[in-house]
Amino acid sequence: MLKWLSKFCSPQQLYDAGVLGMNARNFHIISKHNQRRLYPLVDDKVQTKTLANNIGISTPKLIGKIEHQYEVKNILDIINQYTEFVIKPAQGSGGKGVLVISDYHDGIFTTASGRKISYAEVYQHISNILSGLYSLGGKYDTAIIEELVHFSDVFKEYSYQGVPDVRLIIYKGYPIMAMTRLPTKASGGRANLHQGAVGVGLNIQTGKALHGVLRNQPVTIQPDTGADLMQIQVPYWQEHLLIGALAYDMTGLGYLGADIVLDANKGPMMLELNARPGLAIQIANGFGLKTKIKEVDKYYPENLTANERVKFVLNYRHAK
Amino acid sequence: MLKKIASIRGGLTFLLILAIIYAIYGIYYKIEYWGFSFSPKQNTNLWSIEAHISFTPTNTPIKINLTTPRSNDAFKILEENIIAPDYKIKRNKTKSLLTLTAPAKNPEDKQNLYYKIMLFDNIDTRGKIKAPQPQAPQQPIFDNQKLAAAKQILDLAEKMDGDSVSQIILLLNQEPLAPAVQSYLPVKNTQQQTVEIISDLLALKQIPSRPARGFKLEESKKSLSPDLMLEAYIDGVWKLYDIRTGKKGLPDNFILFQRGGKSLIDVIGGEDSVIKFSVLKSVKSTMSLAGQRAKLMDSQGWFNYSIYNLPLSQQNTLKWLSIFPLGILLIVLMRNVVGIQTMGTFTPMLLSMALVKTGFWAGMGCFSIMILLGLIIRSLMNRFNLLLVPRISAVVIFVILIMQELTVLGYSLDLHIAQSAVFFPIIITAWIIERASITWEEEGPLNAGKEIFNSLLVAIIVYFVISSEYIRHIMFAFNELNIIILFIVMLLGTYTGYRLLELKRFSPIVKR
Repeated sequence: MLKWLSKFCSPQQLYDAGVLGMNARNFHIISKHNQRRLYPLVDDKVQTKTLANNIGISTPKLIGKIEHQYEVKNILDIINQYTEFVIKPAQGSGGKGVLVISDYHDGIFTTASGRKISYAEVYQHISNILSGLYSLGGKYDTAIIEELVHFSDVFKEYSYQGVPDVRLIIYKGYPIMAMTRLPTKASGGRANLHQGAVGVGLNIQTGKALHGVLRNQPVTIQPDTGADLMQIQVPYWQEHLLIGALAYDMTGLGYLGADIVLDANKGPMMLELNARPGLAIQIANGFGLKTKIKEVDKYYPENLTANERVKFVLNYRHAK
Repeated sequence: MLKKIASIRGGLTFLLILAIIYAIYGIYYKIEYWGFSFSPKQNTNLWSIEAHISFTPTNTPIKINLTTPRSNDAFKILEENIIAPDYKIKRNKTKSLLTLTAPAKNPEDKQNLYYKIMLFDNIDTRGKIKAPQPQAPQQPIFDNQKLAAAKQILDLAEKMDGDSVSQIILLLNQEPLAPAVQSYLPVKNTQQQTVEIISDLLALKQIPSRPARGFKLEESKKSLSPDLMLEAYIDGVWKLYDIRTGKKGLPDNFILFQRGGKSLIDVIGGEDSVIKFSVLKSVKSTMSLAGQRAKLMDSQGWFNYSIYNLPLSQQNTLKWLSIFPLGILLIVLMRNVVGIQTMGTFTPMLLSMALVKTGFWAGMGCFSIMILLGLIIRSLMNRFNLLLVPRISAVVIFVILIMQELTVLGYSLDLHIAQSAVFFPIIITAWIIERASITWEEEGPLNAGKEIFNSLLVAIIVYFVISSEYIRHIMFAFNELNIIILFIVMLLGTYTGYRLLELKRFSPIVKR
């Protein structure tokens, strides 16, 4: 009992560390900076993709989309010459309902984890997506099929299957916090921390590793590959930040999470945006979001372009 | 930003305080005037007393004086009926004296008049009411010899148990009587005389006293004559004594009809007058008396528009509803202050409602069986590749079938556990199964188990609060409390502090 209690800390400690709690996030940040009418821009991945491409953010190429049940049987025509692709719900969240097919030959689909599934299973998966099983609030949804990202070799030794990505928190257009999420065996190739992926906080100015966290506990090596997490240095860091800054311009959401994946050939690409990004990133960074948010409110200029904001972040010296 | 929150909070706090003031007033009003109580099983004794007056008219004008009980703090009259056709009814100022006058043309045959009264006892206030100081008692006119005898008796009485009144009564009823007492008392004395003797003795001690009439209530007996008791004024209140046992206080099943004064009834212009009383006792729950009480209080308007004026079956439905806000408050606390994530926002509350109806262990056992069977069937169904809506519908039907089977099985095996299946909300159960099975597939059995466990944990916590008969009664009887809950919930909507479980979740940040 005492041991269990010792896992807790006092509210004052969290407050001093500038940690943003769920209630404060919802009340002070999201409801104030994110207008509800803007949500569909990020909740619907088809819309997000179009907007992103218009403003000059690269995203995985859309192969096709399925909106109605009778179209599901067209899936084989849609994927046609592709041997690898991703099927995901347009309005999903938290990686739910994402089916990664890393190989498709002779009617056999192979998922990222190497499991072989049949056409019928793919068919049902798409049906599930359409009927809203994975969408927010269970609304009818669209299934989108997009190109599989070939993530950069930089991450190869840090990731067990799946696609590692970089999560940025963008506040008022300034990227303020970053982490990379590395799939593990336990997470089933998914880049979700609560499913057991490793999160590594990244220095927002350099893209270098700060701390590693696995299931809320500090960690320094990748549990499956044994690679030293502290050696992580995300390349094209400025480009990552620019995607984040542009995402603010394209959505107008003051508090926003951007998931970016580094393609070996095409560079950083935006996977999706999130109007209610989670708070686990604070654990991976070892400091609170509130500190950063206060800093932005106080010292960061307004009315800069995306490029200027990225430069500002890169050159910012702590007020102290 | 902070200013804005402060003003929202300020406004809500102000409304909360208003709600609390309103609730306190409402509770006070309901307890004081409608007789509600915090205890759910409070019953009130209800008496219905009928006086049957019969006499044969003599050819002179008929006038009947009847002393009637009046509402006071000790008992309240619910209904009063006089059945005296053609008689003129008049009351004196304090309404304690009823005068019936016969019509101009005197009747000739035997007259039968009825006076009916229904009243209930305010047990709580009995003996606590301060009465104004009566005048000093009139001293009896005794000759010296009698005075000496009386004083001797008073001296003797001091050796008896109890207070000075009880002492005298006990002495006068001693078996065998002390010689001094025997010589003092008349050979054969009536109750009336006994009371007078005691009163005289008390007067020597400067204690005011008066006779009181009432009825020893025995339901089977139809005709009763009033019993005489004695009231003495001690320490600022009138206290009642049994003139045979000296016992203080109102005996059980005794109702006081009249205090002081003369006889209960005077019939002028009639002969062979007989008055017969019959008494009926009934027990009613305090809640069901509320309406009648409210009518007495001239606050009818308010009561007529309250839920307590509805038919009982509808009251029961509303009673069930009025516990919901408390459950909702607990859910809000669990989610926003403690930080437990559950399946669906109000699912745990609905589960706990079901548990209240089934009983805890029976409900938990039954629910576990249903979820377990449901999950097995759901996983078997996975192979059919059904679309979502038909699939969840199939699960719903399976849940219904499981409920039926469990109930039948429970009946034949005489197991209460299985019979409680029907109380669980079908759709909710089906969705729990569906969501658990999806979570199982997507995030592993551990996460699925955790989700169910969290939901059950919250359900159990809510259950232990709302399963209390007291809490349910209070939330219904004093439904103003729900307004307080409303504003507390709204105030919690402005709570931006850390959730309890976040203190654990984020602790690695400060404990690195």
